[in-house]
Amino acid sequence: MNQDYMEKVAVMALEAGLGKKADVEIYLTVNRQLSIEVEKGSVDTLKEAEETGLGIRLIKDGSLGFAYTTDLSMSAVNKAVEDAFHMTVYTSSDHYNQLPSGPYEYQNMQLYDETIGSTPVGSKIELACRAETAARETDVRISIIERAGYEEVENTTLIMNSRGLYARERVNFGGLYIYLAAEDNGDAQTGFAVQMSKWFKDLNPQKVGQEAAEKAVGRLHARSISSAVLPCIMEPYVMTRFLNIISRMVNAEAVQKGKSLLAGKLGQKVAAGCMTLVDDATRTEGTACFPFDDEGVPVHCQPIISEGVLNSYLHNTYTAAREGINSTGNASRASFRSLPAVGSSNLVLLPGEKSTAALMDGINKGLYITEVMGMHTVNPISGDYSVGASGIMIEKGCLTFPVRGITIAGNIMDLLQSIDGVGSDMRFYGSRASASIRLKSINISG
Amino acid sequence: MLDKNILNKVLDEALKKGGDFAEIYIEDKSTSNIFYDDNKIESINSGREKGAGIRVIKQGKTSYVHTNDLTAKGLLKAAAAAGRGAGPHAIFRPSIALHRNELNLEEELLSEQLSLADKIQHITAANEAARNYSREIRQVTITLGDVAQAIQIANSDGELIEDERSRVRMTVNAVAAQGNNVQTGFESAGGIGGWKLLQEVSLEDMALKAADLAVAMLAAPAAPAGRMPVVMSSSAGGTLIHEACGHGLEADLVQKGLSVYKDKQGQIVAAPGVNVIDDATIDGKYGSYKFDDEGIKAQRSILIENGVLCSYMYDRLTARKDGVKSTGNGRRESYQYKPVPRMSNTMIGPGHEDPEHIIKSTPHGLLVKKMGGGQVNTTNGDFVFEVQEAYVIEAGQIKSPVKGAILSGNGPEVLKNIDMIGRDLGFAIGTCGKDGQGVPVADAQPTMRITELTIGGRKMADGPHIKKIRRQ
Repeated sequence: MNQDYMEKVAVMALEAGLGKKADVEIYLTVNRQLSIEVEKGSVDTLKEAEETGLGIRLIKDGSLGFAYTTDLSMSAVNKAVEDAFHMTVYTSSDHYNQLPSGPYEYQNMQLYDETIGSTPVGSKIELACRAETAARETDVRISIIERAGYEEVENTTLIMNSRGLYARERVNFGGLYIYLAAEDNGDAQTGFAVQMSKWFKDLNPQKVGQEAAEKAVGRLHARSISSAVLPCIMEPYVMTRFLNIISRMVNAEAVQKGKSLLAGKLGQKVAAGCMTLVDDATRTEGTACFPFDDEGVPVHCQPIISEGVLNSYLHNTYTAAREGINSTGNASRASFRSLPAVGSSNLVLLPGEKSTAALMDGINKGLYITEVMGMHTVNPISGDYSVGASGIMIEKGCLTFPVRGITIAGNIMDLLQSIDGVGSDMRFYGSRASASIRLKSINISG
Repeated sequence: MLDKNILNKVLDEALKKGGDFAEIYIEDKSTSNIFYDDNKIESINSGREKGAGIRVIKQGKTSYVHTNDLTAKGLLKAAAAAGRGAGPHAIFRPSIALHRNELNLEEELLSEQLSLADKIQHITAANEAARNYSREIRQVTITLGDVAQAIQIANSDGELIEDERSRVRMTVNAVAAQGNNVQTGFESAGGIGGWKLLQEVSLEDMALKAADLAVAMLAAPAAPAGRMPVVMSSSAGGTLIHEACGHGLEADLVQKGLSVYKDKQGQIVAAPGVNVIDDATIDGKYGSYKFDDEGIKAQRSILIENGVLCSYMYDRLTARKDGVKSTGNGRRESYQYKPVPRMSNTMIGPGHEDPEHIIKSTPHGLLVKKMGGGQVNTTNGDFVFEVQEAYVIEAGQIKSPVKGAILSGNGPEVLKNIDMIGRDLGFAIGTCGKDGQGVPVADAQPTMRITELTIGGRKMADGPHIKKIRRQ
């Protein structure tokens, strides 16, 4: 859709809403997606999608109405405004229902790589096939490539509201992934790797294929160990999985509804002193890098936990209004079909200075955790977790044999307090980043 | 809906670089949802989505493109993109001129059947009924939703279908508490064909039932553990059969080698008298339709007859692979997804026994009246289900309600261990998830006895083939 038309539709919708003497917000997105899955050097499935949609939030005397449409004709947009307005007759009034007041100045960010769109599909197919080849060439024991592929996403967002806010930006990125299995002497183990990048030239099929292959091969002939309480090191990827849970615990919606362990703990020490966590949509390495949130509020680097002390929750305009503070720029929508909720952007656990070897140094017997399974079963309200894990045994400061079939369990609050080292090897996985971390001890059942 | 000439042009564009089959699926969908919680309307949401999905199949491989741009230019661009998956030496075989024209039109808009004000009146009345039922009721959550969908399907074999569908759904969740003892009761109902559903089911009655169940469970002792006979009441619906057996009869899973029913056609897979049927033609049921999402007329398929495996459920692509006809089970969540074999209304057919008699002839066991969520291993049919409402059976008599029962077992084994089949039939509704797509389904079963199941048991470890079942 061309830019002028987007603006025209948004202005038309805004004016229709203003005619109702209400506060109005228009959220318009255009999404383009391409996904290619390859199998043995040729395309298995190719999927391409373009989606345009408009969400209208209307607030009349504190009552909220919301409607969306993918049909951007004048009659369809007017119907959506009518529907949204009609709802405000029935929804209860809440004076914290507010829109952010503009205009804002937004940071200029490098978010768009022209080469992603202009590169022919053939070259993208080839990239995915090269990841497949690289994996097979890494080790002869790679027996099955379950799935390998290339994905790209382009998104344009336009937000306007009756309080003078105007925000518009576009972003794109590409990615490679591979899922595979290694087999040896009757044992089969899986491995996967993924790389997302804003810059097409940085996509590295060789590295992706090799990483997945090495993971799978490294797990061959892994064995279980007996139950124990051991010091451990979590790989950056494993820690980013735990950051997903922390993200839900620092969400002000959860806090205000009494569904977070971190409620009432602002200013208190909730983690070890070596842990600093920020929410930072300005980090270009993360896929959530964007100059404004899903209500058009400008983003910044927001400290969440500073040297172990809980500094702030994540807020949108509504949750912030309830506390009488400013939004932290964390309004988040699943799509134009939904109202803004609260969500993290790039959640970054800041790195320390130690190498992985230095973290392992002095561990007489411990576990290097490379994978956790079943994280969605973790209860974010109680913080209790009990998840499957695999990794490599650490003995006298060195990695020895692969381990699987074990469960690690505890409470996330204890886990945060138990961190006693943060590595220097910080890495981004999508919109999460962490370095390797060392825990004083963790409960392992074999 | 779009003109035939444009559709033919789009299909030709899609086949330009070769391809065995091209199809366009156009959808115009309006949805409306109300979420009521804590004595107030938490949110109302309404939406309109229009889009087209174009797919090209060449030598069993699929390329799929979808767009919201329904202009001729937009569709031709999408068609060209879908067609380019084909190789350079392909031969262009033009699509056949569209000829068959099936038309099904709904008479009345959903919003005219039941206005927003009417919906809210039903909801508030139901909320009051549940809260007045008992002092123990602490929270009531009610949802009401409807969807109206107009679709047009055209393909390169010259078929053209136009259809209008609507479906409605309502749920009530009641929470009762005494001190730290918190129990819930859940009721849901849904159907196709609009709000005439309210003539059959009252939201107020659903609220009372949910409240009654939540309160009854407060006093219930914990369920017994161990292996014992289980009588599944028809009111439990067929969720267990759908999840633990039905998926294994979907042709794509069979062809990928992920089903225990692979290569079992003509063999005995269930006890004598057990019939498993998938029937998309039952009037008004939540999983019913007139045409599937590939434009094939809805069917009643007998999957297992008197214990013998007769047929799998097919869509066009899997049917072509097996050299059979589609059974009309090609379904998709929306224009954004390619169709895959899916169930519609799946059931174990009724038998001849009096349901009361089944209970009377059970000396000791568990009577399950309502199922909750669970987990299923889709490759082997192992399952773990929570039970919402259950009673102990002693000497053929229904005794006290028990709470917290967990059923674990194996779907294919359950089919073999059914030894009494009642003459009644009860339905449950749900949204079935597969390959990231959710479609509305219903399932049903008579009151029946399973000779032995494990009560108690643990949740399974996670894995690629473990599916989570949420029926709320």
